[in-house]
Amino acid sequence: MLIQESLSVQEKLEILSDAAKYDVACTSSGVDRKGKAGTIGNASKAGICHSFSADGRCISLLKILFTNQCIYDCKYCINRSSNDVVRTAFTPEEVCQLTIQFYRRNYIEGLFLSSGVLTSADYTMDLIYQTLKKLREEYHFHGYIHVKAIPGADPLLIEKTGFLADRMSINLELPTAEGLKKLAPGKNRDKILKPMKQIQNGIVTNRFELMEYKKAPAFVPAGQSTQMIVGATPENDYQMMMVAEALYKNYDLKRVFYSAFVPVNQDSSLPALPGGPPLLREHRLYQADWLMRFYGFQAGELLSEDRPNFNVLLDPKCDWALRHLEQFPVEVNRADYFTLLRVPGMGVKSVKRIIAARRSGILDFEALKKMGVVLKRAHYFITCSGRMMYPVKIEEDYISRHLVGEERRSVWDISSSNTYRQLSLFDDTSLSTQVNSGGIVV
Amino acid sequence: MKTIYLCDSSIEGILSGVYTAWASRKGHDNVKLRLKDDGATMELFCQYEEVPVDSQKADKVITAIRNKISEEAYEVVYKAALSNDMERADKIYRLLIYGFRVGAGVVSMLQNQAVYDIFQMCRFVDNETHLLTGFVRFTEMEGDLLVGRIGPKNDVIVLLAPHFADRLSGENWVLYDVNRKKAVLHPAYRHWYLTDFLPSDWEDKIVKTSVEDEYEDLFKRFRKSISIKERTNPICQLNHMPLRYRPYMPEFSQGLRDV
Repeated sequence: MLIQESLSVQEKLEILSDAAKYDVACTSSGVDRKGKAGTIGNASKAGICHSFSADGRCISLLKILFTNQCIYDCKYCINRSSNDVVRTAFTPEEVCQLTIQFYRRNYIEGLFLSSGVLTSADYTMDLIYQTLKKLREEYHFHGYIHVKAIPGADPLLIEKTGFLADRMSINLELPTAEGLKKLAPGKNRDKILKPMKQIQNGIVTNRFELMEYKKAPAFVPAGQSTQMIVGATPENDYQMMMVAEALYKNYDLKRVFYSAFVPVNQDSSLPALPGGPPLLREHRLYQADWLMRFYGFQAGELLSEDRPNFNVLLDPKCDWALRHLEQFPVEVNRADYFTLLRVPGMGVKSVKRIIAARRSGILDFEALKKMGVVLKRAHYFITCSGRMMYPVKIEEDYISRHLVGEERRSVWDISSSNTYRQLSLFDDTSLSTQVNSGGIVV
Repeated sequence: MKTIYLCDSSIEGILSGVYTAWASRKGHDNVKLRLKDDGATMELFCQYEEVPVDSQKADKVITAIRNKISEEAYEVVYKAALSNDMERADKIYRLLIYGFRVGAGVVSMLQNQAVYDIFQMCRFVDNETHLLTGFVRFTEMEGDLLVGRIGPKNDVIVLLAPHFADRLSGENWVLYDVNRKKAVLHPAYRHWYLTDFLPSDWEDKIVKTSVEDEYEDLFKRFRKSISIKERTNPICQLNHMPLRYRPYMPEFSQGLRDV
């Protein structure tokens, strides 16, 4: 494998951003940092999107690989060592220049630096560290940096890098150890989980330091994240959710990202996906992920061994509510925060508004609409002053029939985003949609 | 007979109108506030009265809001005054009537129509400000100067300026609102200030450093190569980045759509 030295920065940027695009995490959130005289940049807690690419994903960070050369041969990856693609690498100087010049023009919110493994894990991690050090200390960059920890790298290097970055991530790639063994022969689960634990411990220790000395340098202040590929191996949604839940609980992760598998390589051990990437399944996983992080749901409530995959026709919250009709309807003027959060059609913001508004008076359905409650879903599950909006039977079949009608359009939008088709009266009306094992509508 | 007070569209103008209407003691139902330049048809059987901008009156109203309602309410009124709603003067007046009656809790009483109107306006202003913190594009000009042009619906330039002053404190930059012909100027390492006294040909006087900025081109290539072909989804892109922001972005200089 030869590194092309003679490429221009344009060509390098094209190759190395193209190679980085399958990494989903492009968030710039999690840390609020004011600007400082003599430096360039700040960070905002909510994150800022600067542009959107043609696939509708946000461009927040300059997402690039340091090099696309790699010693590993992971089956799903475009940069695997057995692929015949042009290999190249940035110099630290080039990465810094690009970041600063893009940042000044407000094209980006910061840098996302990942890399293929060049020579060895330690060598690559050191290159990344040197780049960040240059960017922070020579170029005085004060904005957001998200960096990948290379599995198997020296813990000392990871620690030193962590003091320069805002967020670190190590990709779990596949939810189970068997899947990893099959598709990523060079990696193993232990190599991935060890640095994850180390970063977690670093963040906790740092929190205590910051309590005592306000000026102590911050270690990975925006937390760590990871990514799992959806649909490359036969794991079901239940297994994915259990893994995600364990990561949130045991490793204090800020985010778990799910990436619908895009077949970039032809390989006998990879599934063929004639219907395109499993976008609907990815969408359902994200919906459930939000339910776990902000709505107080447990993975075990949403799915179980007997029902291991999400309902294709209904979102996970509606699906849960329909199976627990004994808890509904809920009285909006009296129910507590967590009960309200479980009502389909209500979210964190609308529930907070409800709680604030009902202190000064009784709410009716008209008022709920103003708070941002989606009544077309919520009205089956709530009462205002003891009355429902319409006379509704609290009965699973009746409600699900109505809800599925609402949801069908968005399901169709997601699962067939790339196909054009003449709509006919009878196309989408049958409920007996076929579903294959991956949870994809065919 | 109803009296309609015509006020200036600035926050001072609106609050002077609020003061005058209130002090007239004609009863809240018998007065109405309108902006001088709202372009709406005049009503019959009404008395029209113009209100000059009076910063003393405006200050009195501001002090009253801060002391008798809350600091948050003042922030809400300020943002509502920046909105592009043509009836914002009257909506602010209606909010204040209710606010002076119920006190600090007023901003969360969304069930009240007056509060809800203001809430919607503020949400629009906040959302547009947030989007623009990302969508502003600076172009490098000769003499170490960055120039960004925006065409927002609401008058958000004063809300945007602190963000960029904090972020690019060491740069000379100008942020220009094309629709309102006013600009925020920020000399490096100093405070920013707002001005609407710009000579009409100021844009012609400064020249781009080079005709084709190397980094503009790099960013265009980056945007193209970062997109995954199998996931192409123009509707999703449109939802997140409406067309009206795109004419001011160099990456869309060849056309407003990617696909």
